[in-house]
Amino acid sequence: MKGIVFTEFLDLVETKFGLEMVDKIIEQSQLDSNGVYTSVGTYQFSEMLQLLQHLSANTGIDIDNLLLVYAEHFFGVLEASYPELLATYKDPIEMLASIENHIHVEVRKIYPDAELPVFIVEEKTAQSLVMVYKSSRAMHHFGLGLMNKTFEHFNSTATIVLEKIKADGTEVKFIINKN
Amino acid sequence: MSRNEIDILKRALQREKAARKAAERILEDKSRELYLTSEELKTTNLKLEELLDEKSTQLQGVFENIIDAYVVMDLKGNILKFNDPAIALFGYDIDKAPVNVLRLIYKKDYKYAMQSFKNLKKNGFFTNYSARIYTKSKAVKWVHINASLIFNKQKKPIAAQGIVRDITELKNLELQKELLLKKLEKSNDELQEYAHIVSHDLKSPLRSIDALVSWIKEDNKAHLNAASLQNFDLISNTLEKMEHLISGILNYSSIGFDSVKKEAVDLNTIVQNLNTILIVPEHITINLKTKLPIVKGFKTKLEQLFQNLIGNAIKFIDKEKGFIEIDVKETPSYYEFSIKDNGIGIDKKYHEKIFKIFNSLTKRKDSTGIGLSIVKKILDIHHGEIWLESVVGEFTTFYFTLKK
Repeated sequence: MKGIVFTEFLDLVETKFGLEMVDKIIEQSQLDSNGVYTSVGTYQFSEMLQLLQHLSANTGIDIDNLLLVYAEHFFGVLEASYPELLATYKDPIEMLASIENHIHVEVRKIYPDAELPVFIVEEKTAQSLVMVYKSSRAMHHFGLGLMNKTFEHFNSTATIVLEKIKADGTEVKFIINKN
Repeated sequence: MSRNEIDILKRALQREKAARKAAERILEDKSRELYLTSEELKTTNLKLEELLDEKSTQLQGVFENIIDAYVVMDLKGNILKFNDPAIALFGYDIDKAPVNVLRLIYKKDYKYAMQSFKNLKKNGFFTNYSARIYTKSKAVKWVHINASLIFNKQKKPIAAQGIVRDITELKNLELQKELLLKKLEKSNDELQEYAHIVSHDLKSPLRSIDALVSWIKEDNKAHLNAASLQNFDLISNTLEKMEHLISGILNYSSIGFDSVKKEAVDLNTIVQNLNTILIVPEHITINLKTKLPIVKGFKTKLEQLFQNLIGNAIKFIDKEKGFIEIDVKETPSYYEFSIKDNGIGIDKKYHEKIFKIFNSLTKRKDSTGIGLSIVKKILDIHHGEIWLESVVGEFTTFYFTLKK
């Protein structure tokens, strides 16, 4: 997992819960990196999972909601880092529908070893989109947070319903309707 | 600040320090990688430049060394490039004044030229364009052109190139050849007609002489001694031989003048039918050793070929028991026939002479010296060969070939 996901995550934890919480979840976890992250490095996903679990345990907020909040924060990072990519889109539905065929293609150019989730478009109209998310990481709420922010970016809103195809969340259907 | 807070800050600081070092190391590695990649790119670029130079030199060499004219024009027909032979052919120096290809096209070939240009645009090339052009001095020349489009990187056509060959000489020769052929055809016709008339006209006085001689002989039978009677017989024989000769000339001159087409000819049928034309004496047996093939040729001529060769064999058998053997061998491209007899044989020194007209080796009245020259001519028409083996007094074998 790219280092920027860790550094941004820990920055957000520090902002929301203080440095003590950052120190706590790192100390509670068994980390190969010892909690030393740089945005240009690459680290194991299991480290993120442990950090999330301990944050959830310490705050009483479930992991899905933590991911949702983190994704909304992370969208800002993307907006700041890749404004040109976002500028190629005029519409949130168009942008979400092209994750697989455009955005992830570009991501792989910059990070050839990136491990990306799969988004399969099942239905698409001007106002709605049905996509299936597939990833062993089961980070569907991270996706949901990014989607929410995408609509916000284009000054619109949407109702997004998640249907788990697999109980462990590794395969989830997103039913998106523009408001 | 509590002890705990200090520890937290210390750990945070340690992590930050370690992260900075890790980042520096990663970036260091990245920049080294970039440096190596850029060095590699430099080498590759150098190689590409060398390759480009090499190819350019090669092309320049082709451009300069090609014997034919090489022309490059834009898609509106403006000439962009002429090599030296092109300058020599068309007479224009394009560096001095621009030339459009339209100015070079011979008026009557304009439509053909436009059609070819259309094909070039549609298919990307044309080949074997053959038409006339004007040179700068308004001379007309025949040229042969192969042309193709030149494309840019986006695969859009940007120009056209052509190799132009001056075929004026060739065209003139072709025209000359055609004229000569026509002339030849005419004189052949005349010759045949002449031979026909001459032989026909020669025959009738011959018949009159024959009739008159026999009348004189009949009228004076009582007064003539044995020697005179024998002379009369000699006159009669000579006249007969003369008539054979004339018929032979007529035959010879008419070979190769039919408009009959080649057909599949079964040579077995031909040889069997010969029995009805030729009179085979009882002491001579004709033996067909193998089945003969079916060949492509002119039926009546092939009939005559076998008739003449077998007729000759019959004629010159001097043995009590005579035989004639007909055989054939097959090769990938032709059949080799042989006709062997146990006749008088032919001396080696005559083996070539006998195929020339009027070269009879005997003084027999039925031997005119035309038969074998007709055989030779028939084989010429069929692109075949003829030769022979012989031992005087023992045998003669004629060999001849016919294409499959």
